[in-house]
Amino acid sequence: MTAPRGALRLIDVRKSYRVGPVTTEVLRGVDLEIGAGDLVSIMGPSGSGKTTLMNIVGLLDRPSTGRHVLDGRDVSGLGDDALSRLRNAHVGFVFQAFHLLPRLTAAENVCVPLVYRGTGRREALGRARAILERVGMGERVAHRPDQLSGGQKQRVAIARALVGMPALLLADEPTGALDTDTADETMGLLLELNAEQGVTVLIITHDPVVARRCTRRMRIEGGQLHEEDPRPPGSAGSTAPRRA
Amino acid sequence: MPGILPILGANARQAVDSLARARLRTALGLVGIMIGISSVIAMVSLGEIAKEQARRQFEALGTDVLLVRTVAASAAPQGISLADAIGLVEAVPAVAEAAPRILGHGEFRHAGRKVGQGRVQGVTAAFASINRMSLQAGRFVSLLDADRHFCVVGATVADAMRQGGSGRIVGETLEIGDILFTVVGVLDPRPESYALPVQVEADESVFVPIGAAGRIADNPAIELAVARSSAGVDYRAAVADIRSWFRRRAPDLQLDIITAKELIAQMEAQMQTFALLLGSVGSISLVVGGIGIMNIMLVSVAERRREIAIRRALGARRRDIQSQFLIESVILTLAGGLLGILLGLAATWAICRFTGWEFLISGMSVASGLGTAAAAGLFFGFQPARQAARLDPIAGLQAE
Ligand SMILES: Nc1ncnc2c1ncn2[C@@H]1O[C@H](COP(=O)(O)OP(=O)(O)O)[C@@H](O)[C@H]1O
Ligand SMILES: [Mg+2]
Repeated sequence: MTAPRGALRLIDVRKSYRVGPVTTEVLRGVDLEIGAGDLVSIMGPSGSGKTTLMNIVGLLDRPSTGRHVLDGRDVSGLGDDALSRLRNAHVGFVFQAFHLLPRLTAAENVCVPLVYRGTGRREALGRARAILERVGMGERVAHRPDQLSGGQKQRVAIARALVGMPALLLADEPTGALDTDTADETMGLLLELNAEQGVTVLIITHDPVVARRCTRRMRIEGGQLHEEDPRPPGSAGSTAPRRA
Repeated sequence: MPGILPILGANARQAVDSLARARLRTALGLVGIMIGISSVIAMVSLGEIAKEQARRQFEALGTDVLLVRTVAASAAPQGISLADAIGLVEAVPAVAEAAPRILGHGEFRHAGRKVGQGRVQGVTAAFASINRMSLQAGRFVSLLDADRHFCVVGATVADAMRQGGSGRIVGETLEIGDILFTVVGVLDPRPESYALPVQVEADESVFVPIGAAGRIADNPAIELAVARSSAGVDYRAAVADIRSWFRRRAPDLQLDIITAKELIAQMEAQMQTFALLLGSVGSISLVVGGIGIMNIMLVSVAERRREIAIRRALGARRRDIQSQFLIESVILTLAGGLLGILLGLAATWAICRFTGWEFLISGMSVASGLGTAAAAGLFFGFQPARQAARLDPIAGLQAE
């Protein structure tokens, strides 16, 4: 694949839900341009459509209208299988509720994305161990989720999101279920991985502290997305290249 | 297609794990499938066994055997006359051999010792050839012996006589009831054949000339004639000819003529009834078990909506989810099928004990049992698996 990966554009994306006779438009013409390696935060009140937006960006959901371009390729018209393949190869998800599979060990959880692309069990386990090591969970590969703390679960989930070398990491309130210190550490890990691996990171958050550590900050309100003022120069953050 | 194996392997491990967790439900589904498959096994096995049984017996006896019996409530108590039975071969070209029998019963003594108790069968030479009896020593009795007190002893009786120390049995004197007979022949052991409803019981019997049997039997009437139709003659023609011969000779006589061909047909009909019964029990329990399996799978899909959604988010295609659940239901029905095979073979064995057939395990029945089980898993698992594959991942991720 030609570098750089992880760039994406949404062009006039709208999403509406119909419940009974009432149609609610959650996204009302969202335009978004993210460059490869960007570290982006999205804030917004509850119910403003953050998760909806993330599901569309992550190819789990489709916009009602509008275009979605991933690394220069329009993916709006792709079928379900193609979207699944692309999701597997291109996107890593991190959820607020962790969403680990309860019966699998940490290592087996991390293997799942690799299994769906046909990697052999032994190789998948090897790669899972390596990345668990990287996120500081090398001692816990054989633990099941109920034997892990919240912060540890989220580290496993981050390892699972990254094991397939995606171009895009989508985190929906990743620290929302964690205490302040653990949230801090988790955030630190995401920043490191963004810097280290050049993966584009999009974080949905309620926490202004988390948002401040990102290089680009956006706010969703009334179904539309606005970029906030560029962050003050000199503060800590990514060394990855940016596009304005 | 590269990479399908790791997915299937992971699916299979996942399936075993999740089935082990829902023990009670799994057990209930298994029972239905088990009974269904065991009926399939018993049905196929018994069919094969009966066919093999019939083949062996008729191979030993031949399919050209006819049995002529007087009906018990016949208006002619004197039965078939010897002359008519013997004359049958001469007069009816369709009959190659005929062997009338007068049946008595007695105790056998030799040198003052009891050497047995059993049938005293008054016969002609044809009886030995039609029933494929062979001699160890001496000769068989024949019409030429008329009413002389000669006898041929069965293998068991001969053994008992040898225990008494007599080396040569031919020439010895045997007491039947209180009448003395001279042994002229000794039979080879002969396994009983169940193909015809006539028991020979040769080993425990003593055979005497038909003309001499009248003195021993309570009812000296000829009760039975075993005949063999001539080569190339249709058995129905032979039956018709026999009937018309006896109608001319003894109009009062009511005859019952049984042919080997009819017996085979009867046996087949009996097997078909059996198969139909087992088949319907089997298919009903398969359907009941299958619906149970379907139910288990539907509950499992509903309980695992979140897992399915997570897998979809991580890149599972619909068909990956579908195959995961199909594999799970096939594993379930195959496990039931394996138990069913054991149960079915046990039932088959018991039925064989009961009917006296020889038990054998037919590869065909095991294969059809496993095949049916797998097919049931695919069939009843299809709808739940499809449902799982079509779940909306976004809704699943929000489900708690
Ligand atoms: N499947 C759906 N059907 C109907 N309405 C929905 C559905 N999913 C989300 N919504 C609505 O869309 C709005 C945005 O939801 P969401 O994207 O989850 O918000 P956020 O993540 O910002 O809290 C909410 O008002 C929610 O009720
Ligand atoms: Mg949300």
